[in-house]
This record gives sequence, structure tokens and C-alpha cells, in this order.
Amino acid sequence: MTELSDELLVAYVDGQLARKQTRAVEKVLDQDDVLAARVDALKHAHARLEAAFEAILAGEEVDVSAASAPVEDGIFIPWRIAKMALAGIGIAAALALAIAGYGWPLSLPGGSQIAPHAAGLSGDWQADAARAQALLSRQSLEVGLESQANYDLVAFQLAHILETNLKFPNLQAQGFHFVRAQVLRYDGVPLIQILYLAARGGPLALYAKKGEGSDTLTPGRYGTIRTVTWAEDGVSYLLAGEVDDALLMRIATRVKLEPAPPLRSAPKPYTPVNDALDTSR
Amino acid sequence: MLPRLKRFADVLVGDRDEGASLLGRALQAMLAEQHRYRRGTALDVWAFGEIYRHWLHELRDHADPLARAKIDDARFGALFHAEQDSYLDVPVIAFLKSLPVQQRLTLLLVYGEGFDHGSAGRVLDVSPDTIAARLVRITAGLSDQLSDRAPAQAAATVEPLYPEGLSP
Repeated sequence: MTELSDELLVAYVDGQLARKQTRAVEKVLDQDDVLAARVDALKHAHARLEAAFEAILAGEEVDVSAASAPVEDGIFIPWRIAKMALAGIGIAAALALAIAGYGWPLSLPGGSQIAPHAAGLSGDWQADAARAQALLSRQSLEVGLESQANYDLVAFQLAHILETNLKFPNLQAQGFHFVRAQVLRYDGVPLIQILYLAARGGPLALYAKKGEGSDTLTPGRYGTIRTVTWAEDGVSYLLAGEVDDALLMRIATRVKLEPAPPLRSAPKPYTPVNDALDTSR
Repeated sequence: MLPRLKRFADVLVGDRDEGASLLGRALQAMLAEQHRYRRGTALDVWAFGEIYRHWLHELRDHADPLARAKIDDARFGALFHAEQDSYLDVPVIAFLKSLPVQQRLTLLLVYGEGFDHGSAGRVLDVSPDTIAARLVRITAGLSDQLSDRAPAQAAATVEPLYPEGLSP
């Protein structure tokens, strides 16, 4: 076996040698199987490193394109109109996800499964609307639109209703801002819906419901709606929206990797005393 | 160029969120000190170097720099989730995480960015020979791990990186 140092072989694999040196190394490799195998192993390691760094770059490009999408005209609209629009978005998302089946089989409060054309409803929209209606509960209206600006209050309300801490992620870095959250109902059990919007496109929704399941991120789709499901810490999650598969998986990964939130306490209402106590700390 | 700078910052700190934060601070510093840019220097080489220097500067100010430089397994692994069905090269990711940051960045600059040893050395403020020596040690180490080959005998083939008695 010919003695060639790793230094020389790595320089050869990296294309750092002069032409004359390259030819000399190739000549040796033609005659030495052991060295040729070593070069193959170095090339293999080199290729896998390149692929790993490419994978990171692909993720960065997705992030940058999502974050830098131009803001459309009309995003700054009066709050009254915004409330109507947001309510519409919530209902639209509920309908879309009702159609998608939420990853959980939809059922009436009594437990019977809803068939799309069941219960004497003739039109598709009526059956879909009935599905969405089955998801609404009194609590859906108790988390009011007026409270949505207080992120901590909404998080507290949701955790209180679900009776466990749930992830309430900030997706600004992914280009989505929190719009509103509400409580739906599935088989008598609270189903949390947290809605986000990007500068363009449809809503992104994170659903959370008490329950166990696989902790693996599982992709799925219904029509144009992409979904990812998983469960952790006794809460079952569904992330859904009309977004790119890779972006949705990256957001789901981010949410899953996010540490569990601390136990939330009720935010104190503003009073002069509370304010003075906070200030004196 | 922004995704490339972001990747550099992510690999440097081993965390996407921390990387975004570092990049933001470094970009602000670059804008404030743009007079330091020398005409004729490749912009990407200068920008990578500025991010690295900014990180070093912040690290030196920290009470426990070694603890600060430690990275989390899950967060580092999350850097490589590019597409939902993409193959995740776990051995390579674990190997990269185990490397000191300067070695990890050497690999990124040469194999990820395609820089020559001189440019990579300018970013990391070391000589091209140091870059070459790092690459030999790291690539040979990874190759041995991936092929289950016993590490090469240092006396036979590997040049020492540092003069005797001056190990890092």
C-alpha cells in the first residue's frame, strides 16, 4: 500500500491540489484499492456535509420568503370592520377544518357521527354548516373579540378552559401574526382554535384538545388544506392551513420544540393599587 | 445573501431563534460601522466575519462563556428540518453538534459556502493552513465514523495541528 496522508487525500477530494498533483494522486489511486476506498469514504463524508448544509439553507429560504411577503393594501382597517372580518375568518376556518375532519372524527354532542348529507340536509353547504355548528359551544362566544388584544388574558382563558397548559406559540418569526382564539366543542370536550394570518393567503390555525396520541409530527392534507398532527403533555394538536407543506412542517416543528409554558395565573386587572405595586417592584 | 447569513448565524449558535437574534444585532452593528468595510473585500466574506466577531465580542462579555456556547440537541437538530419528507442525516447532525464552533464554521464555509481556504480563514481570523488542517482532522474523523473505520494512526499520516507543548 502506498503511503498518502489524509491531508493530501482531503486536499485532493476538496479540489485543492494543482493539476499535476491531482494527476499523480489519481495514478496512485488506480493502483491501490485501499487508498481508493479511503478517498471514496472521504468523498462520501464531504457529500453528506454538503447535503446537511443545503438542508439548513433550504429552511432559511422558506423562512425569509414567508417573512418578507409584501403587506397587501387594506390590512389597516377600522376595528369594527376588522372584527367582522375576523369573525368571518374564524367561521371560514371552522368550516374548512370541519370539511377536513380536524384529524378527529366529527360527531354530534350525543356521539353519533355526522355524515355529509345526513339529517335531511339537502345542500352541501348546509351539511358543512351543521358540522361547523356542532363545534360551537357557549364558551365559543365567551372568549370575546374585545379581549383578543390581551395575549396573556387569552392564553390564561384557554388554559383555564382546557384545564391544562397548552402551547400558544408566537409565529411572528414565521410571518404569521396572532389574530384571535376561540373555544369550540368536540363531543362535549373543549377544542381550542388559535388563528393566525400572514401578509397574504388564508388563515393558519392551531387546534388543541385534551387527549393522548402519537408524539410524532404526522403530515396530512384535505384538498388544499395541509395538516400536521401530534400530541404532547396530554394535549393533542392539529396545525392546519393552506400553506406550503415544508413551511407547515417547519412551523409544527417549531411549536413542538417550544418548551411547555409555565402555569399561567390570571392577569391582574388594572387598578391604581396594582399599578403602584408593580411599579414599586 | 440573507438566507446565507442566517444559516451562518444559526450554525454558529446552534439555534434558529438565537441565530435570528444574533444576525439582527450583527446587522445593526454592520450598518453602524460600515466605514470599516474595505473596498475590494467580498461582501459576503466581510459580513460572515462581522457576524463571527460580533458573536465573539458578546461571548467575551458573558460571565460564563463556555456555558453560553453550549447548544441544545433538539434545537440544533431542528436547523436541518428543511422539508417534511427530507432525509434527516442523524449521524452527520450529531457529529456537527459535537464539534467546537470554529470547526463547525470551517466546514460550513468550505463545504456549505464553497469558500477557498483563504476566504474561510479571513472570516474566522485564522491562516489558510489552519483551515486546511481543521478540514483534514474533521473530514477524516467524520469519514471514519461513517465507515466504522478505526481512526488513522496519528504518527503515520496526520500532521500535528500545533507545535508541541502549544495544544489549544
